[in-house]
Amino acid sequence: MSDGPATEADAWKKVTDRFDGESIRFGSHWSYNVYNDPKRLAFVLSRYKFVSRIATKNKRVLELGCSEGLGGRLLAEFATSYTGIDLDSEAVAVARRNLPDPKYTFHDGNFLGVRLGEFDTVVSIDVVEHIERDIEHQFFETCYHNLGEDGVCVVGTPNVTSEAYASAASKLGHVNLFDGPRLTATLKRYFHNVFLFGLNDEVVHTGFTPMTHFLMAVACYKRREILA
Amino acid sequence: MSAPDRWLDVKATMGDRRLELGRHVGHWFRHSPRRLLHAMSYYKFASKMIGRGKAVLDVGCGEGIGTWLLAVENGTARGVDLDDDAIRVATANYGHDPRISFACEDFLEGEPKAWDAVVNFDVIEHVLPGHVGGFWQRIADSLVHDGVAIVGTPNVTSDQYASPITRAGHVNLYSGDRLAEEMGRYFHHVFLFAANDEVVHTGFLPMAHYLIAMGVRKRG
Repeated sequence: MSDGPATEADAWKKVTDRFDGESIRFGSHWSYNVYNDPKRLAFVLSRYKFVSRIATKNKRVLELGCSEGLGGRLLAEFATSYTGIDLDSEAVAVARRNLPDPKYTFHDGNFLGVRLGEFDTVVSIDVVEHIERDIEHQFFETCYHNLGEDGVCVVGTPNVTSEAYASAASKLGHVNLFDGPRLTATLKRYFHNVFLFGLNDEVVHTGFTPMTHFLMAVACYKRREILA
Repeated sequence: MSAPDRWLDVKATMGDRRLELGRHVGHWFRHSPRRLLHAMSYYKFASKMIGRGKAVLDVGCGEGIGTWLLAVENGTARGVDLDDDAIRVATANYGHDPRISFACEDFLEGEPKAWDAVVNFDVIEHVLPGHVGGFWQRIADSLVHDGVAIVGTPNVTSDQYASPITRAGHVNLYSGDRLAEEMGRYFHHVFLFAANDEVVHTGFLPMAHYLIAMGVRKRG
């Protein structure tokens, strides 16, 4: 024991000396979320962890609506590259500052109709409910056109059945809520295979869809042509 | 109306079928009853992935209790197994229903049919490593172009905790990586899930007790 640390503080310093990198600063969006409802951080990270586990390993990943890159960090962990795009330029600046590694690319702008490349996985979580129904096809077309032939698309959005419990701020932004059957049917126009999961809080499951708080659809096997 | 009478009215709606647990599921029931829970959870997960209005083949269906779940949830199901006593129990329990059928036959024999989904739980670990390529190919050959294969098997990392009776039959245990790699030779997409007890999840694979791989878009 003679070579060991003299005090607990010395022992702990051996740990903190190994921490590398600067501190991470959230922007206004994610700071608000954490201050307002911290458990939401668990829910959101769980959605991204789920995607990271099933559809990102050794993949080129695109995220539509990346905000501050919080989910991007999880999506990039096992991926070969990660690209995020968001129209909130403050959020994108935060993402760039916090994730400077060349593995990450961030774009500042509206992704609707934009083709950024041919990706293996396109992910969009908490986005489509903010896009008016009459132009939602542009959202799904953007997912479709940024995917290679063997691409996987993951779309997460709150279940319409949970709207009664949503906060005023959430309701304000939610102009196009989906139920499970509509999300599945919509994606089926673009992909042969669609697998629907549900989340209640941070738990991902395959339970009874109407009582699921949040929907996550995994779609693959792109159709040659989009169905009408 | 008295409470006992009310209950008789309820019971009168239930019919008078009697479910039999055969030697295999009966063994679970006596020695490890939660095993039944785990198996039903795997089948429920498969049924949710497959979706409604589908025809499902359950390979190695045993006594067919999981096949029954697939038939009820997905539309129609057929269970096949080499164990004729298990097929007898399955047919006795569920054979009356038009949504389901069973046969004592070798999955690898005869002309494959095109199913919407092929499911097998606790089968591939009993297939000799030299035969497993033919087994995967047969699964792919038994699917329509957008069909789904769901294969569940114990994780090799859990073998150290397995009972002697379980270990006696395991000739081909998989790690998550090997399962994904091997299935990936036959399918463009492999989605790998894990289970600990009845909970299906996407957690750290080496600590998963059980692996469930879903193959989509067969190659070729």
